[in-house]
Formats: sequence, structure tokens, C-alpha cells
Amino acid sequence: MKNEITLQTRREFLRRTVLGSSLAWTVPAFLANTFSVLQAEAADSAIQTATGKDASILVVLQMAGGNDGINTVVPYANDFYHKARPKIGLKAEEVLKINGDIGLHGAMKGFKELYDAGQLSVIQGVGYPNPNRSHFRSTEIWQTASDSNRVEKNGWIGRYFDNACPGADPTIGVTIGSQLPQAFFASKPKGIVFNNPQNYRFMANGAGTEESYKKLNELEMSSAQPDDNSGGSIGMLPAGMPMTGGKAVDFISRTALDAQQSSDEIRSIAAKVQNTAVYPPSQLGGSLKMVAKLIGGGLPTRIYYVSQGGYDTHTNQLGSQQRLLGDLAESVKAFTDDMKAQGNMGRVVVMTFSEFGRRVSENANGGTDHGAAAPMFIVGNKVKAGLLGQYPSLAPGDLYQGDVKYNVDFRSVYASVLENWLKTKSAPILGKQFTPLPVV
Amino acid sequence: MLKPLSSDRWDYTKAAHLLNRAGFGGPPEEIQKLADLGPDKAVAYLLDYEKIPDPTPNPDWAQPNPDEIKKLREVQRTGTPEEKKMAQREQQQLFQRRMLELRGWWLKRMATGPRPLQEKLVLFWHGHFATSVEKVRNPYYMWRQNELFRRLATGNWQQLLTEAGKDPAMLVWLDQAQSKKDHPNENFAREVMELFALGEGHYTEKDIGQAARALTGWSLEPNEQKFIFRPRIHDDGDKTFLGRTGNFDGDDVIQIIVAQPQAARFITAKLWNYFAGQMPSEDLNTDLAAALRANDNNFKPFLREMFRSEKFYSDAVIRNQVKSPVQWLVGSVRVLESELPPPLVSWGMLRQLGQDLFAPPNVKGWDGGVTWITTNTLLSRYNDAQSLVEGTLPPLAAGDFAKKAGGGKGQKAMKAMQRIRMGGVKVDKILLPDEKADKGTIVAALEHRLFQTSLSGDQEQTLREFLNSKTKMTDADILTAIRLMMSTPDYQVT
Repeated sequence: MKNEITLQTRREFLRRTVLGSSLAWTVPAFLANTFSVLQAEAADSAIQTATGKDASILVVLQMAGGNDGINTVVPYANDFYHKARPKIGLKAEEVLKINGDIGLHGAMKGFKELYDAGQLSVIQGVGYPNPNRSHFRSTEIWQTASDSNRVEKNGWIGRYFDNACPGADPTIGVTIGSQLPQAFFASKPKGIVFNNPQNYRFMANGAGTEESYKKLNELEMSSAQPDDNSGGSIGMLPAGMPMTGGKAVDFISRTALDAQQSSDEIRSIAAKVQNTAVYPPSQLGGSLKMVAKLIGGGLPTRIYYVSQGGYDTHTNQLGSQQRLLGDLAESVKAFTDDMKAQGNMGRVVVMTFSEFGRRVSENANGGTDHGAAAPMFIVGNKVKAGLLGQYPSLAPGDLYQGDVKYNVDFRSVYASVLENWLKTKSAPILGKQFTPLPVV
Repeated sequence: MLKPLSSDRWDYTKAAHLLNRAGFGGPPEEIQKLADLGPDKAVAYLLDYEKIPDPTPNPDWAQPNPDEIKKLREVQRTGTPEEKKMAQREQQQLFQRRMLELRGWWLKRMATGPRPLQEKLVLFWHGHFATSVEKVRNPYYMWRQNELFRRLATGNWQQLLTEAGKDPAMLVWLDQAQSKKDHPNENFAREVMELFALGEGHYTEKDIGQAARALTGWSLEPNEQKFIFRPRIHDDGDKTFLGRTGNFDGDDVIQIIVAQPQAARFITAKLWNYFAGQMPSEDLNTDLAAALRANDNNFKPFLREMFRSEKFYSDAVIRNQVKSPVQWLVGSVRVLESELPPPLVSWGMLRQLGQDLFAPPNVKGWDGGVTWITTNTLLSRYNDAQSLVEGTLPPLAAGDFAKKAGGGKGQKAMKAMQRIRMGGVKVDKILLPDEKADKGTIVAALEHRLFQTSLSGDQEQTLREFLNSKTKMTDADILTAIRLMMSTPDYQVT
């Protein structure tokens, strides 16, 4: 049974690879055979390569700036906690209690509802060895899934695409925003970025303008040879480390073609699909609203990426974190409501992350400085709901330079999502085998 | 040693490259002028800009305004909740208007000012010290920092780093103004090493803690709106920092940092990347750092050597830099000899393209390079090209404009939009009558102007066919051809 499904999806995958989805049924058998040999390795590396209406979907939600995990999943009954945070510590009546020790921040009502419905897992104390307190370096570590002493160029999502989705449609990955996150950087970059579907097109007036635009941008591609396996494509380059080789124009040419291909599809879905849930009027709310539309419209996307900024709360943290976590919980709750209404809740998992948590002790400005381990949230029908991992000890003797120590390596969460949800081997993507945390 | 480019290899292409990188590009006559000057004088013309007067007046609010602040405080202290809310809203709107003015003021200096390299360097330092009004929330501070970068654009590394650290916008941006002896705030101490001067891996977490102690006392005088040293919150105990021990203060910290050999490597690599479009190799970085140190950490002589160097004009460098949105906008206006869109529209475009001046995305500034290009920003560039060329409003939603117009909604925003006038390109300004007579020469002349090189044969043919398809070719068709040329991957690089 299982084998049959794999074969079926593989055949479909090969067709897509060769000529793109719209021509899939016209692929002559001999061509399919030829390519099946060429692509055998790629196909084997992908246990499940289906894209389309039935495949599982991962929504990655970045909480940028370093969210204070201790005031998010709050150890409200812990004396060390209140001692370290006389001003910003949350009291028992200010949290949404999960048990006698721990509660969610009071603004996260939406998350509490998901928790009570068995659709939220809270992974406690997630981090990595030798934590780095720089926003950029730590973000890079989370985005590339590298060890903290090793600098990687490509992102973990990019490596997933490289390993498991060769030849896929450009919309295999969708970022709502204007910049591509490093997680998507790949040796053969995939994925599109947009923020406003109305403007996501080439606006032409006058006869022949659009045709000429297409020709001018397609001609470039023939020289750039985007799908040449032998290299020469410059790939994405890490943030802040601009190109050291290859031609910038080749990269732009490839992006131009992806833009052309995806523009019609995105706009027609955005115009057609309606949301049923009400989202907060925030950037995150708007982004998740758009993701819900695209899922409802049947885009063959496996990974969506949205982000919410502002968590760098060095000063007067209480108000800003209240607002941010409220927005987060409301937006995600609205999204899950939409997914339920569409009948797609079973296909979707939302995973949050932040580059680090914050120092256990508050600072003199009613805020907290950069820290280390923090919780992650995973939302979905098939997640292992509840509290996972162990709450890190806040006892002063257990801290490292004032920070909590991690109990769960974030890459074991990625491994679980990759293997159990996206159904692909995680070791080639994460560089080594991490034991998947049983979360999905 | 940086080997200089031999003078006999100087030509139009290299002059164009210099103007594109050490400035924002320009029309053929400007390039020709630099080509005629020869490399030494061309570089000097751009770099010794103090010789050229810049009469740009400052915005009239660009000075400390203690009365304005006192009045606001008074309302906050004694006003009714209604009055407080009102005062706050008024202030917000005032700040938004001023920021809009400031953005337009700076862009205009880049596009039409007499000192392109100075403005290009101000843009570099802004991206380097990456301070955002989103947190600073004070247009005067943002202007003041911008002026600091202008004043010290080609100055001394230690002086610039010290003054940038004591600058009010920075004191707010990285929380230094709130750092006290008993609870030192590490934000500035960390970033000054990680992002401004040394780079990750050249200091320890302990160095950060020690530097944060030394830096306590650097603070802000809110009424006069300037730096003040407050001895009472300064930690005057001994610190051990980057291998040295002593009763250091903030100035000592900066001095010790700049004395590290890595400080010269770090900043010269960033400057090379900004101007040449790629990170230097280890060897080249060694030569660049040596050049800066040999010149006592003064940027001006360093930049002269850099812009004269053979490597700066190598094939791997020329036409291989992705234009930043500002380069794209200002450069387009300059080569097309047209006008900048009004500040509201320019701001909207730059935001959409990913470079909101005075509001970089984070402390690290803009990543730059190929990260400027996504499917989204590329289509936006292609569409904004239409607005610039044809003089139409860019495809920004009305609501977006309303927000930017200062909080107005509905009718008011629509009216504001209707008042906006875009310049557009005048064909007769950029094509001579005999160039315009023939479709082949039109394409060639425009290529020369927009790319300073040729497109591929296929692309040229597409453009000729487009013009040929017009039985009665009008200026509007030529404008569309220009827009099409700007809607290519090739136009996005320089």
C-alpha cells in the first residue's frame, strides 16, 4: 500500500520536474523514463515528494528580536522567578494556568484555547549548545540549523527544497514579506516572496508591452541555465555576505522568471478565496490571512514563512510583550479557525521560533537583555499536545552567565517536523541525525 | 600594497563605473567629463568635495527645541487625558511630516547635490550604524546623526566611532542613555564590537560586560538634546577589556577597539563591499586594512587609494553589483535627467523595494547584494520604472498613501493623492533629433545611457521589434521602450 503511494507520487513528481505541472499529462513515456534515471537519486532521497492539494504544509512563524520565553510560558509559582524579576514578573492571577507551576502569558487566550483543544504543544527550554547572544548570529544559527561554531550559507528550508523537491514549482515555498529569510537560501533557490497580491504583477499598458517584457526576461534565462546541475548558478548568498563569485545578473534573471510564473496564480487565488475568520489588523494577522487564502486556493506550497517583529524588549517590556503575544495568539487562532472552516486543518502545522530567549534577571529599564533557551510552539491537529521537554531550572546555580540552559536542541524539533510531517529524511538536511522529538 | 590602475587604461567605461559606484551614476556628458579628466583628477573631483560649495539649507526645525519639549512635558504632567491624547497625536503627526521632509531633503541631495560621493558615504554610514527612527522617534536626532555622517564621511575612524556612539540618536537606539553603574545595559557595548568595528569572534562575552561597565555614564541631556557624561552613574572601577586592564571609560573603550588590527580589516572590508559590490578576498582585505592604517585610520586617503586601485576596475567588479533601491531610484532619475518623485512617492517606492531610509530593518542594517532582489521587489522595480518614466503614480494602494500622508483617511487622502505630480521623462531631453529619427539608433542611444554597455543581441532585437510594431511611433512608445529596458535583470545591476 505504502509503496504504491510512493510510486504514484514519484511519477507525478517526475512529470512535474520535466515539464512543469500544466503539461504533466503530455509527457511521453520515453522521456519520463529517461528522466527517471537521471533523477533516480533525487527521487530516492525524497520519500514523499507530492505537491498539490493533499500534501502536508508547514507554516514557519518567526518571532523576531528574541522573545522573552520566561514571560511567555511563565513559571508563576517559582520563587527564583519572582526574585529575578521583581518588576516584570507575572503573578499567578496574570497568567493562563496550564498547571500548578506554569501558565501562558495572559494575553495568549487564543493559544490557551488551542492548548485545551489538544492542538498546541509547548516545547520548553529549546536552544542549542554554546548559545550566541547576537541577534544576527543566533538568527543565522536557527535559520541554517548549524552548530554555533560553524557558519553555514544555506538555510534548512532551502536544503529541504534542494534535497526533497528538485524541479518543484517556484511556489513550493512562499514568504509573506519583502525579504527572503536566510532559511530559504539554497544551492538552487526556490520560493517566492510577496506582500501585496494586487501589485504582484507586471503592469503593462499599450500593445506589445507585456509580450516584450516576457521576452526580455526570458531571453536572459537561456544564458543563465537555471536548472543546470553542474553548477554555475550562484545560488542565494547569506545575508551580509554578498557575492564573492558568479554574476549578480544571473540570480536576478532566475528571480524574474519565478516572478513571472507565480504572479497570475497568486493573484487569482487572492481574488477568489475568501477568509471566514477575523484576523487582527496587524502585519502578522494580514500575513496569516494571506497564507490561509493561498492554502484554500490549492497552491502547491509545502512551506509558508511569516514573521512578527518587535521582541527585542530591552526597555519597558511589559506593555510591548503583552501587545505582541496577544497579536500572535489571536492571529494564529484566527488562522486555525480558517483552516478548520476550509477543511484543511489536518494538513497544516504551525511552528514558531525566536532567535533566543532573554536573561532570567530583569534589567534596570523594566526590560530584559539577550538570553538563551526559550519555548517553541507547534500547532496542529496531529501534534503531541501539552507541555514537552522540561522547564529549565531558574535556580541561580543552574544558570550559565545568567541564562537558562537548554533541554531540547531545536534541530530535534526540525528533525521531527521534517521526518514526521514533511515525510523526508532529516539527516541530509540538518547535516547529521538528530533524534526527532516526538512532537508531530 | 594596492596597485593603482595605469592611467592609459582609463576610458569611458571605467569613468562610468567610478561615477556609478562613488556616486549615483549620471548622464553621458557627466561620464565623458570624468573620462576626459583622467583617473587621478576624476577621483579627486569626487573625493575632494569640500572644494565644491554645497548650499543646501537645513530643514528649519533642525535644531534643539527645548520649548517644544517643555510644552509637551507640561501637558503630560498637568493636562486632562483628552489634552494628553491630543498633544501626543499632534506631536506624532508633526514628527511624521518632518521625517517625510527629511527623507525628501536627503534624496534631493543625492540626486541633484554637488557632492555625490559625500552623500554616497552618508548612505554607507547610515547603513553601517543602522539607526532607526522607529525607536528613536525624533526627527531632529535623525537629522543630526545624518549631519554627523556628512561631516565625518571621509574623516578619522576613531573620531567617527566615538562621535557616533555619543550621538543622541545612537544613545537612544542602543539604550546607552539608560545604562547605569548597577545595571549596565549591554546593547551598545555589544553592537559597537559586533556590528560597528570588529565583527563576531573578535571579542568575548566578558569583553562585552566589561565594555558595558566602562561605557556607563554616557547619557543624554533631554532638554538640550545632546550628549552628557554623568559621573554619578559611571562605574569607575577597574575593567579588563580586550586584554588590557585599567579604569576605562567610554572613550577608552572606543580607542582600544580601534587600535585592534581587526578594526581596520572590518571597516575596510565593509567599505570595499559597499563600493565594489562584493566582499574582498583575505589578501585584498589585508592590503585594504594596511592602507587605512598607513593613513592613520583616515578614510579620505584610504578611499583615494581604493578608487585608484586596479582591482576596483576588474571585470569581476564592473557591472556586477545589485543596485540598492536608493541607487536604483536616484540613479534612474540622474541618467534619465528627470526629477525625483515627490517625497511621499519616493518614500513609498523605497519602502516597497526594501530600503526605508532612516528605518533600517534592524541593528545590522540592510543586508544588500542579491538580498535586495526577491520576486516581489523585482516586480515592484519594473512597475516603479513605469511611474518614473511615464510620470504616473506608482501602484501603491490608496490606504498606503493615506497612512503616509500623516494619518489622513478617505477623502483627505484621495485629495492628497490627486495633488501629487510626477515629473516623468522628456524624450527630447535625452535623445538628439537625429538619434530619434531611426529606431536602431534609439535603442543604441538608450542602451548607452542606461547601461553604458550593450544588451544581448536578442534583447536588442526585442526592443527594435517593439518599436517597429508601432506604425506611427510616438514619444509615448519611446518612453515605454525605456521602461522595458528598465524592466530587465540587466538594469538592476551596475
